[in-house]
Amino acid sequence: MKLFDPTTTPRERSVVLAPRPRDLRGLRLGLVENTKFNSDVILNKLCERLVDRYGVTPGRMIRKRSPSHAVTEEAADELRRISDFIVSGVGD
Amino acid sequence: MSTSRDDYDAWELIEAYFERGWTDGLPVVPPTEKSIALMLAGAGLAGHETIGEIPERGVVVSAEKLAINAVMAGCRPDYLPVVVAAVRGLCHPHFAYHGPASSTGGSAMVSIVNGPIARRLGINSGNNAFGQGTRANATIGRAVRLTMMNVMNTRPGFLDRATLGNPGKYSFCFSENEAQHPWEPLHVERGHRPEQSTVTVYASNSLYQVYNQLAASPEPLLRCFADALCNLGTPNLRGFNQSLIVLAGEHSDLLRQSGWSKHDVRRFLVEHCRRTLADLKRAARRPGAVEPGDESAWKHIFERPEDILIVCAGGQAGSWSACLPGWGNKWTRSVTTLIATS
Repeated sequence: MKLFDPTTTPRERSVVLAPRPRDLRGLRLGLVENTKFNSDVILNKLCERLVDRYGVTPGRMIRKRSPSHAVTEEAADELRRISDFIVSGVGD
Repeated sequence: MSTSRDDYDAWELIEAYFERGWTDGLPVVPPTEKSIALMLAGAGLAGHETIGEIPERGVVVSAEKLAINAVMAGCRPDYLPVVVAAVRGLCHPHFAYHGPASSTGGSAMVSIVNGPIARRLGINSGNNAFGQGTRANATIGRAVRLTMMNVMNTRPGFLDRATLGNPGKYSFCFSENEAQHPWEPLHVERGHRPEQSTVTVYASNSLYQVYNQLAASPEPLLRCFADALCNLGTPNLRGFNQSLIVLAGEHSDLLRQSGWSKHDVRRFLVEHCRRTLADLKRAARRPGAVEPGDESAWKHIFERPEDILIVCAGGQAGSWSACLPGWGNKWTRSVTTLIATS
């Protein structure tokens, strides 16, 4: 008798990480807020610290529809246009 | 694909599925080539066909894997079209699977079956519709969950991060009682014909029952629902709540006799599901101290009437119905999928 494997291995995909900036000074910061409770508060605080400590230029905060949803293509395009680096992701 | 060993007996085979982490904690029916082929034939599918995808998880659900999990769950082959449609619903972008499937809230994926297939397969819509004892209900819901675990990568402690979970995560499937419905059933409300069959998938927190034996008109009965729906511990109090309400016999009879429409019921609930800002602040569901004016500042928990799904099921006797609080309309939407029937 045989065992039949009921599982599926997720497809792997390669992701190219963006090069890390050596210096944050003057770079434009984009924020992606996922609507988790207080995530906007935490991201704004983080932005303040990055401005104070590293001299970054605060940029826009993009709000996702929900944590379940990806950033829309339009929002991603805008972030690319107006940001040099992005902070995203606040969990429970 | 398969592992061969000639000397498995039935007990060892069941244990082998446990050892590999392929079960939901209960014994499974070990599949065979014959049972998998029969299962696929039950839905007229070839094994290589794609049922759906969850792109953010890199997951593709094939008919073969779905059939293996359905055999393991104990399904009959003629149940497979329902399982296929339910999984297609989970993979629909509006369902936004990754959130409700992985959240700490631990949702059960409820499958509500409408149309002739529910009666043909004997899916229970009557007494104990949420309980044990009916093969179709138990095994269709279980096949969906096993597929979620084994194919859609939704394993406890990995991409299923439920804090407590709920018992509906083993299996949760029932059909609507269309014969004694005060209004049009769910699938007709959503644009399908009565003679078509559908399954609606809905991400649900633990259900709680609502009791009222004395109400003789809709308002007092629905006040009980409204009170239950906007309790201070419910997850989405910021106006984007959603809920499934299951009306059982005596309560649906009362509403039928009242002449209220389904929309009337929804409108009443949207209006009465509210808390004062002071209530919310005292319970730390909103930040800050209670301020003048907060005692009379009302916050509604539903944005729109359509965020309240209403279906009918359950026994004719008893003054019980149920609320199944959902995941919030901005996180996930229930999805109704046509079941392919021959």
